[in-house]
Amino acid sequence: MTYIIYIIVQIMIMLLLAPLINGIIKKIKAFTQKRTGPPILQMYYDLFKLIRKNSVVSEASSWIYKAAPYIVFSTSLTAALLVPVTIKLVPSFNISGDFVIFVSILALGRFFMMAAGLDTGSTFGGMGSSREAMISSLAEPSILVCLFTAGLIAGSTSLDQMMMFMQAKGQGIILMNPAIILLFLALLTIIIMETARIPIDDPSTHLELTMVHEAMILEYSGRHLALMEYGAAIKQLIFITLLVNLLLPHDQFIGAAGLGGILISLLIYFLKVIVITVVIALIEINTVKLRLFSIPNLAALSFILSFLAFLQYFLLGGGYVQLI
Amino acid sequence: MGILQFDNYIQLCILLFFIGSIIALGLNKKARLCNYVSNGISIIATALLAFASIMQIMGGKDVIKLSLLKSTLPFIRLEMTIDGLSAIFLLILSLLTICVSTYSIGYISSYYGKRNVGLFYFLYMSFILSMIFVFTSSNAVFFYIVWEGMALLSYFLVIYESERSENRQAGTLYIVMTHIGTAFLLIGIMISYSYTNSFDLFGSSDAIPAGAKNVIFIMYLLGFGTKAGAIPLHIWLPYAHPAAPSNVSALMSGIMIKTAVYGLIRFVMGFLGLQEAWWGILIIIIGIVSAVLGVAYAMMETDIKRILAYSSVENMGIILLGLGVSFTALAYGNLLVGQLALIASILHTLNHALFKGGLFLGAGSVHYATGTKDIEKLGGLIKKMPISALLVLCFSLAVSSIVPFNGFIGEWLTMQSIFASVAHGKHGINILLILGVAALGLAGALAAACFVRFFGISFLGIERSEHALKAEEVPRSMNIAMGILALICLSIGIFPLVAIKLIDRASYGLLGSSILDQIQGGFLVSWYSMEFTSNRISSFEILAVLVVIILLSLLALRVLGGKYIERRYGTWDCGFEALNSRMQYTATGFSKPIRIIFRILFRPSRKRSTKGGTAYYPETIEYTVDSESVFEKYIYKPVFVRARIWSRRTKFTVQTGNIHNYLTYIFITVIVLMAYNSFI
Repeated sequence: MTYIIYIIVQIMIMLLLAPLINGIIKKIKAFTQKRTGPPILQMYYDLFKLIRKNSVVSEASSWIYKAAPYIVFSTSLTAALLVPVTIKLVPSFNISGDFVIFVSILALGRFFMMAAGLDTGSTFGGMGSSREAMISSLAEPSILVCLFTAGLIAGSTSLDQMMMFMQAKGQGIILMNPAIILLFLALLTIIIMETARIPIDDPSTHLELTMVHEAMILEYSGRHLALMEYGAAIKQLIFITLLVNLLLPHDQFIGAAGLGGILISLLIYFLKVIVITVVIALIEINTVKLRLFSIPNLAALSFILSFLAFLQYFLLGGGYVQLI
Repeated sequence: MGILQFDNYIQLCILLFFIGSIIALGLNKKARLCNYVSNGISIIATALLAFASIMQIMGGKDVIKLSLLKSTLPFIRLEMTIDGLSAIFLLILSLLTICVSTYSIGYISSYYGKRNVGLFYFLYMSFILSMIFVFTSSNAVFFYIVWEGMALLSYFLVIYESERSENRQAGTLYIVMTHIGTAFLLIGIMISYSYTNSFDLFGSSDAIPAGAKNVIFIMYLLGFGTKAGAIPLHIWLPYAHPAAPSNVSALMSGIMIKTAVYGLIRFVMGFLGLQEAWWGILIIIIGIVSAVLGVAYAMMETDIKRILAYSSVENMGIILLGLGVSFTALAYGNLLVGQLALIASILHTLNHALFKGGLFLGAGSVHYATGTKDIEKLGGLIKKMPISALLVLCFSLAVSSIVPFNGFIGEWLTMQSIFASVAHGKHGINILLILGVAALGLAGALAAACFVRFFGISFLGIERSEHALKAEEVPRSMNIAMGILALICLSIGIFPLVAIKLIDRASYGLLGSSILDQIQGGFLVSWYSMEFTSNRISSFEILAVLVVIILLSLLALRVLGGKYIERRYGTWDCGFEALNSRMQYTATGFSKPIRIIFRILFRPSRKRSTKGGTAYYPETIEYTVDSESVFEKYIYKPVFVRARIWSRRTKFTVQTGNIHNYLTYIFITVIVLMAYNSFI
């Protein structure tokens, strides 16, 4: 029963919150450019409008093209189940999944998205797939090393177990731990790489020289496009959740149990997500898009940060610095 | 001995293959009959073998001993011993061979009247027989003989389509490289014999001093590494696998290169014993390098079978990584982690045999249907061969280690063994292991990219040439064979515990322990590495959740979306209105970002030449991109060139052509040998 409640709450929060992140980022960007910008809830309207529209499907495409949006959307939501929004809700038994399968589920969605890019016979789709293949290949080692190190610190590869460990140990000043700081920076870089944000990819452009994610889904329309966009938004929220709940745990500060405790916990989670969203928006405002072949430098940066975190953990012999 | 005893099944299987190969040779005038009879015999024989090996694994801890020829001389003793390790490799062999033989019924039908089908099946069956012997021989001399036989028979199969000169060259490279490897193996066996005075593989190696053991290990590593295609000894693999007929490539890549894994476990872990941790570390390094570079080179190829051959190098790298972790952990006395890593390694061996076998069969289907292996000439095949396309998609997902297929399980176990190794270990190899994690990640992501390219360029989009236009669905037997393989891949992915249990039992004889206490679950696998928590996954749950979410989203779209009409229309062409198949992304274009980033590996060069018209409006433009393997150019080529120059120079001083000189050589050799014999 708890498991079903967990799944429902998890999925509802992801579904409801994900489009808001994009709205907030757009609003902040518009604000710095002295524009009014679209309403914060614009993406909800867009999604609702898109699913009521008819689709145009390319003549050259096959069933892969039509299956891809559903697979991308459902893999995002399935991956979301492995990243609890609040520890308070996690059932007493473990969730059957760890970070390796988390990465693998997202890879399934990406595989179909890249294949769909090639399916229409359009040059844009192939270009997007080709670039996505490069970026994802570069990001994957950092993600694995980063989560592996966090797992070593916590003694488990399951994401929920890691979060539980972090919050149990987080009574002291968690940000004073160098390994955690390094992991935080590495994961933040990975979020930008994985969610097609500005130094890597510009989500608001349709210029063939720069687009990556948009190029892959260029042919999509109607409900297929809605699913693709929604899937991408959920994936972005998953990574933000991973960052805030793993490396900035908050549940240890809430004594209250039961429904009240869960609600307070969710509220704090929500605030943390907003803060990280603002940080991402600020990064997006203050950087320019990198040249495609400068992306390896960013990937190397995040890899080195996670590698240093591992070294730090390793040199301290697994000890956890507690400054009280 | 009753007829139901399963060691008789193995004897029967060997007999069937032996008779079958002779029958095939006899029937070479009747191609169709020969095709059916030979494949029927191999399917029956391998089914017996599969049954016998499962019985052996499940049955008990004692080994089966068979002997073909006994004599009092120490080395002329052809003995076979089947323990758990042999049985699990025999099982891998039989699973794949059943499918490949089913596939061959359809595939070889295109050879009727063109090639000697009888000869083909003679070689095919003898090749399988030689691999059965490799997995079962308990005597180093016998092992050496069948190892050599396997190399020669596969050489004949590689050059089977010998009218093309590149196939003959590939065969020559293969036979040279494999003999270099075999030479090292022979040296290792001889050194070991000089101390123990026995060729028994199950004997004791206590008489060998530690220093000599190190030398023997290096010899075995070089010998088996060549067969495994480990970088930098891999250069034969991307030439030999594409040259052979596709069903043979499936066997070569699926099983033959796995004999190296078997050899390393049998000779090093079983016979020599693991004393030095650096043995494992060396294997880990080779594994990491092979995994990353193998798939990076696969990304650059445009010949479908060469892509698969390089991908085999990558997967052998992952297998070796697991094996190295196992060797290191065992050398440090960490039995639990060692066994977990060994199971991960053998499981990935099984998985790779299944999905890579399937992919080579898929490549064979593409070749059968289109007559070309060049990925740039394909496209749109999913509409012409929907079943083959679906099956190749399944194998592509499996090789990219994506849930819910079996490739993921192997990678997960390898990752868990590295995790446990780092968490429990107090040794300085942790930095190497974290690089192993990064290598697994990079190789996994590049493999996904490589197989999106493989699948996307050849099966999706618009047909790029007449080859693709004229394609039709292949004969049913070929799709059935691939379907069985895909089904096994999926079921191992969903019910991994069955395979893990089998391998755990199989490795019992080797390590004398079982990790089943640590691994639990029905649908799911959970590995209790730590005292208080478990790491668990369940592909079945993930798959179930995926399906439920897809169904729910379809339902939600129906409720919210209202009336829905889907219109088919041309791909958006920017108003250009002349979009054609040549404007699609090519495979070369697809891999360009990776080629640029890792240019140190590929040394890409490009050439552009224009013809006719003015400089600004030429009539034709020719643009070629070339990438080369650094290993071939900077290691092998200089050596080969030097060797050729040197041998040309010394040719006339040694090989004078004068018979008296040759007689002198023989005489001197005899004297030296006699002198050596009397002094020692």
